[in-house]
Amino acid sequence: MTAQNQVRQDHIRNFSIIAHIDHGKSTLADRILELTGTVSPRDMKEQVLDKMDLERERGITIKAQAVRIIYTARDGDTYQLNLIDTPGHVDFTYEVSRSLAACEGAVLLVDASQGVEAQTVANAYLALENDLEIIPVLNKIDLPAANPAEAQLELHELTGATPEEIISVSAKTGAGVQEVLEAVVHRVPAPAGDPQGPPRALIFDSIYDQYRGVVAYVRVVDGQFSVREQIEMMGTGQRAEIEELGYFAPEMTAAATLSTGEVGYIITGVKDVAQVRVGDTITVAAPARRAKERLPGYRVVQPMVFCGLFPTEGDKYEELREALEKLALNDAALIYEPESSKALGFGFRCGFLGLLHMDIVRERLEREYGLELLATTPNVEYHVYLTNGEMVSVRNPADMPPEGHIVRIEEPYVEANILVPAEYVGAIMELCQGRRADFVTMQYLSPERVQMHYRLPLSEIVLDFFDQLKSRTKGYASLDYEIGEYRQSDLVKLDILLAGEPVDALSLIVPRDRAHARGKALVEKLRQVIPRQLFEVAVQAAIGSRVVARETVKAKRKDVLAKCYGGDITRKRKLLEKQKEGKKRMKQLGVVEVPQEAFLAVLQLDSGGKEK
Amino acid sequence: MENRHRARSAQDAAPGPPRHLYVHVPFCRARCDYCAFYSEPLTAEAYLDAYVEALLAEWRCEQARWGIGRLETVYLGGGTPSLLGELRLQRLLEPLQPQLTQHAEVTIETNPEDVTPTYANWVAHWRPKPRVSLGVQSFSARLRRELGRRGDVDPAVAYRRLRDAGVTNLSVDLIFAIPGQGVAEIEEELRRIGELQPEHVSWYELDIPEGGALERRLRGRRAPSTDVDGSAELYRRLVHGLERLGYHWYEVSNFARSGHQARHNVAYWRGQSYLGLGPAAVSTVGELRWTNEPDVRSYLAWAGQPTAASSSPERQWEELDEVVRARERLMLAARTGAAVELAAVAPALDSAALEPLAEAGFILLSGGKLRVARKGRYVANEVCVRLFRDFAF
Repeated sequence: MTAQNQVRQDHIRNFSIIAHIDHGKSTLADRILELTGTVSPRDMKEQVLDKMDLERERGITIKAQAVRIIYTARDGDTYQLNLIDTPGHVDFTYEVSRSLAACEGAVLLVDASQGVEAQTVANAYLALENDLEIIPVLNKIDLPAANPAEAQLELHELTGATPEEIISVSAKTGAGVQEVLEAVVHRVPAPAGDPQGPPRALIFDSIYDQYRGVVAYVRVVDGQFSVREQIEMMGTGQRAEIEELGYFAPEMTAAATLSTGEVGYIITGVKDVAQVRVGDTITVAAPARRAKERLPGYRVVQPMVFCGLFPTEGDKYEELREALEKLALNDAALIYEPESSKALGFGFRCGFLGLLHMDIVRERLEREYGLELLATTPNVEYHVYLTNGEMVSVRNPADMPPEGHIVRIEEPYVEANILVPAEYVGAIMELCQGRRADFVTMQYLSPERVQMHYRLPLSEIVLDFFDQLKSRTKGYASLDYEIGEYRQSDLVKLDILLAGEPVDALSLIVPRDRAHARGKALVEKLRQVIPRQLFEVAVQAAIGSRVVARETVKAKRKDVLAKCYGGDITRKRKLLEKQKEGKKRMKQLGVVEVPQEAFLAVLQLDSGGKEK
Repeated sequence: MENRHRARSAQDAAPGPPRHLYVHVPFCRARCDYCAFYSEPLTAEAYLDAYVEALLAEWRCEQARWGIGRLETVYLGGGTPSLLGELRLQRLLEPLQPQLTQHAEVTIETNPEDVTPTYANWVAHWRPKPRVSLGVQSFSARLRRELGRRGDVDPAVAYRRLRDAGVTNLSVDLIFAIPGQGVAEIEEELRRIGELQPEHVSWYELDIPEGGALERRLRGRRAPSTDVDGSAELYRRLVHGLERLGYHWYEVSNFARSGHQARHNVAYWRGQSYLGLGPAAVSTVGELRWTNEPDVRSYLAWAGQPTAASSSPERQWEELDEVVRARERLMLAARTGAAVELAAVAPALDSAALEPLAEAGFILLSGGKLRVARKGRYVANEVCVRLFRDFAF
């Protein structure tokens, strides 16, 4: 028995830190771990809890982490604090909500120089929905650009906190961090569960370990679990014996029991992640102590953004399949199904939570599995109602039924919250107008900061909305959105033809009244990215059989090196070999060689506002 | 030691001694902004004497190694061979004379400013009668200034002096796509060629070496003649213009009256063996290619050793396997329009590429042979790359 396990239930505090991206969440976590001696100075590095290289490089958290901290407070008592680290991006909101369900309190961290942002608002609402005690904290108060008074006002507007309740810290220097820990101890309630009741634990996350099987991250709500005990996942009915349980310090540390209110992990040797579902309840199998009722779970995560992923080398299809299988073990939100494209060969149509999720999966596939991938333009899932009364879900524009068979098409809308300094309200209105957005409400959080609420098609966000938002507001706007309902839109499929041949991987679905402009912009962009070839290449955009735009990639007129004498032959040959090697990054479509960036050309269009 | 061993084993496999000799003279009065060849600024005249002796040392060494009895062509290139002056050139060429028949082609690259009356006289009277390749670059003084040519003299004066002295085989070197050179300027060059009637014309596209003086000077300036469409247009103009004047377009950048093709260069393009002397010079004999270290000092040091007669200067070696040789055959044939046996280039060839290229008129296929058509010669790189089979490095 270690000292950590002897803490009484009323001395346990479970909390998260929630913040907008870059507001210093990981730095604050680092300081807390340092201050409490959870991580020795020797092992200390930045973003201690982010284990993936990708997380460190991008400065983001992708997977949730839980760490047990032992803290002796100013009242002389020793407390067990469980810090559950959460991702900070809109794509991973569901991860945040899962983590919050395992806590009683949340530190709401705001960068004093940036103020409240869209993610701050979204996270604060999530915390309130979960009935958490919110501890508002202002970070980076040591920065010259900090404006604590303004940020305090916004935090007050958001949470109702008084200035005295808002703690000021510098996560970088550590100033004020102890006040945060004191607030966690004194303001966050102890876990309420029944230590004598039938054992119940909530699975709030899981990872797959190739040697040990599924590792379930749990929060014990009632009773106690012990090693070697038979347990049951209540949702799936899967039974197993606990091989090991324990807590994170921050490395996995085995223990004999996990008691009411504690956060830790359970390993059973089950290899199938589907049997250990996030959101499920674990209880004991023994009929005498078995719980009758499950804990409230989570809604099932739906992928919202889809794209085709193809290996650039055709023979890597099987490797891609295996890599996706492995990634999906740790990523419930990632789905994939085989896709075959006339242009790109065999690959997978993959579903993601959003663009960042897509980007991360793609990068992990390339980096961790050594694959070279070609990604098609991302799109949403359309509900297409047919004349025969059926509804089909279309996740790939190439699968869109012929127009004559379609009664109507519906697409997903989102409820978007944009927080922006007051001077940029006009810029946001202009952007949103160009994106088929309906204005809902607008609210001043402070005289300088405005919250704008729009309802718009997700497909408009999937393009370059976020980039546009940032560039039109000098980076000051922030965005958060929630998936809303499906609504009818007047949409058509726009096909792209190269040298007269349609290229399925370039098809896209666009609003009918924008089809001409979008087609024109796209063929213009393709003309720029497709290099000149031996042959003239016609680039056309068509709706059905009607060509709506056309450009020509002119033929190469000269491509030859001037001199080639005895001393040059090796060098010239190597230049040609390099030129040949360069062609490997091109897709050969009939006689046309198409570079990979052509398949993402549509993302580079200025598709908002400026089209006529 | 290693080098000598490899050279000897290659000799066993070689198809016969090389009959083409290149001699590199890597000195210039000043470096031209557009030149990428290895050269050194000229410092002392005495240096040149030592250099000629070193070349002869390498020649004696290689002549013995390969058992060279006869040379079909000799090419003095640079750098600036004419900078050696007629006395040193005489000293350099004299030992080669026993290997030369009266039909041998001996070319001396010559800069207009080196063409003194004495020089012209010496060239005209040497035997076998030399061929002179005159570095004109442009007949327009303005465009020569654009290229950063220093110590400028009128190349037409040098040309006439050589002609009047009795040089019967003259080639002029020209450059196109010089900033400020448009269609009118190309027509003017053509007019001068028509007037002077050289036997041979080499006309190269201006290459702007990265990081060089020319690039620095041109940076940020709009130069329509140097963009890809502009220079393609000039290129077509000059090819057609020279053909109207009676020149055959027998290689990408080379044009000749009948019977006046540069035989030395044609040997390169046919994949024949050749020997190169001097720092940075390249030799290819059979499957072996080597490049002398581009360093005059170490070359002179080597020649000064008592062992020079039996050892080589510092070299880089390259072995040409079957695929590489086939690839080079294809590349060189594409530049000249020469027919090659499909069987001979098969190791490098993607036969699936033949049909579409033939259909579009870039290549001609007949009797088991492949020929890159005129239309394909303008885009010879792309045609070659399409013809190349995929390969892994």
